[in-house]
Amino acid sequence: MRGVSKSYGSSQALKDVNLKVKSGELVALLGPSGSGKTTLLRIIAGIEAADPGGRVLFDNVDVSMTDLGKRRIGFVFQHYALFKQMNVFENIAFGLRAKPWRARPSNAAIKAKVEELLALVQLQNFAPRYPSQLSGGQRQRVALARALAVEPQVLLLDEPFGALDATVRRELRRWLRKLHERIRVTSIFVTHDQEEALEVADRVAVMNAGRIEQFASPEEVYERPANPFVYGFLGSYNLFHARHDGASRGQDETASRGDAPVTFVRPHDIEILRDNEDGSAIAAKVTHIGFAGAAVNVELLKLDDHQQVDAELSTQTYRDLALKLDDQVFIRLRNPHSFYEDYAI
Amino acid sequence: MADLSNLASLAPAAVAKRSTVGRLLVAGTILFLTLFVVLPVANVFGEAFSKGIGAYVQTFYVPKPESGATPSLSEKHRFAAKMGQAERTWSAIRMSCWVAAFVVPLNIIFGLAAAWAITKFRFKGRVFLVTLIDLPFSISPVVAGLAFVLLFGRTGIFGDWATSWTWPDPTSLTWQGFTGPWWPLSFARTYTGIMFTPLAIVLASIFVTFPFVARSLIPLMDVQGSEEELAALSLGASGWRTFRTVTLANVKWALLYGAILCTARAFGEFGAVSVVSGHIDFNDTMPLRIEKLWNEYDTQAAFSVATLLAGLAVLTLIIKSAVEWKTNRTQIAEPLELEMTSDEHRSAGGEQVLRLLPGSQGREP
Repeated sequence: MRGVSKSYGSSQALKDVNLKVKSGELVALLGPSGSGKTTLLRIIAGIEAADPGGRVLFDNVDVSMTDLGKRRIGFVFQHYALFKQMNVFENIAFGLRAKPWRARPSNAAIKAKVEELLALVQLQNFAPRYPSQLSGGQRQRVALARALAVEPQVLLLDEPFGALDATVRRELRRWLRKLHERIRVTSIFVTHDQEEALEVADRVAVMNAGRIEQFASPEEVYERPANPFVYGFLGSYNLFHARHDGASRGQDETASRGDAPVTFVRPHDIEILRDNEDGSAIAAKVTHIGFAGAAVNVELLKLDDHQQVDAELSTQTYRDLALKLDDQVFIRLRNPHSFYEDYAI
Repeated sequence: MADLSNLASLAPAAVAKRSTVGRLLVAGTILFLTLFVVLPVANVFGEAFSKGIGAYVQTFYVPKPESGATPSLSEKHRFAAKMGQAERTWSAIRMSCWVAAFVVPLNIIFGLAAAWAITKFRFKGRVFLVTLIDLPFSISPVVAGLAFVLLFGRTGIFGDWATSWTWPDPTSLTWQGFTGPWWPLSFARTYTGIMFTPLAIVLASIFVTFPFVARSLIPLMDVQGSEEELAALSLGASGWRTFRTVTLANVKWALLYGAILCTARAFGEFGAVSVVSGHIDFNDTMPLRIEKLWNEYDTQAAFSVATLLAGLAVLTLIIKSAVEWKTNRTQIAEPLELEMTSDEHRSAGGEQVLRLLPGSQGREP
């Protein structure tokens, strides 16, 4: 068990954050930029110090005052920070060679360990190359191998896929997931990409303005968001206000006033009907139809209060409905989330 | 077809037109360089060898007269005078080398420390410090020399202390064996005072050459940031190891570049050194020696010593361009990586994904 709790003072980058990560877990810190997720990671690593009173515990041992080199963490930087002047082999061996000579393994042992790690990250033939001769994805894996060489208690990754482009990112994401299943080292990674966090992590900590809004499994975070922020950050949505019993969009300034419950519905949870059988559906008019490959995005205008609603249909449903512009239809909400807090997004 | 041939004939014309301007510029540059650089340097060598190679050699080494000859008194006088001049020239060459030997390592240390402080830390007065480092560039060296006189001279701020302080001459360290005290090394010579001693020359040279190392390091270290250092520290490396294997390795070419410029300036500095040397023969460095020979109307000897400085400058230029070439090559490696990345992306299809997964022993692209 690891408990990590800290507060961060004057600039309030982090406001009394508590986070408990289980051993062997893969946790994502997810949040918009400026939410304090990188600061939190750097405090865990020991690169930055928490305010007095804030404490970082590894296995119930307080390491707040421990030097970053002695914390036994593996830190993978966003831009990898590989040693330019050393080849891949020396990069990975660095942590082993840097040990005090009493604990330093023999050259043969270092070589064996580095080769094992190179095999783990699938870069066996790249040992003599220099970082400038590697692609972004390869560098990422070297950085990971280098961090793993010192057998860290915790592996910390700062935006591990941030500097890569979409294709490589998707590959590496899956690869990281598999790697973690194999080596089971407690890992925390920072990301602003909700898809990445949901796909890779065992648990996701959604952060906003220096606070952790929700810390739960990806499914729970998505299906049962703790508050409107979490709901809003994890995907697009429609807002419905109970007060005037109408719909408005997320950007609408009339959103969330007083104690009126606000209802959030994902675009793919808007059901479009041709006729209003039980009288519970809302009348609307189709104003725009946009194709996006597997799905069709339909923009509707509610007839009662003229608020816009976004719906996402499968192509099959769309074809069955045979929707056309300016068609009069009815919409029904599936799986709506209501929040009573006065919460401005 | 007609259009095409038209185009083909047009292109060389355009190039030719542009190259007329280009040729004029090149010619102008060559003319200017010839007038102001090549001719004076050629003149240095011309004057040095104006009385033949024998006279050139005699500036540095006077051969003993043949043992059988019986020189007249005036010949003996002339021989002694020549010997004295050659000895003073050698003394100046030794002094220049010793000054550089102390100034360059010290400035490497100071320059590294200053560049480190300025680029890896954020503190109040950082910009002011950068300006201060540049000060020796913008101030006249004579003023710098005078400032040292006003500090350490007889009436200076530290005058009382600086004129009575006795210090051993590190270049006179000699082995005296274990017969005397427990320590087998001792200094054969001591100096009293700071002004008009080699120490003053070293101080003035440090002041004048300080910016070279720091200036060549700051831009590079600024770009590199401190992530690599943090990575090394997080891997458990000690501060010294991090500095040695990461920081120093990353800046070694820039450091060498700065050190070369620093050396060249340390050998060539005249103004500041002239003021603090007190024009004592013993304190002469090569530029000071050249001036004295010139003032004694020994033009050929003055130019002979000058050839040494010119040769040093040429050597410096060669090493400097070699280092520049080397630094450029390491920097050119950067765009290469982008190319490779995009290559991988292009080939990254569905199979690639599978091959990346651990377990499936695939080859790398």
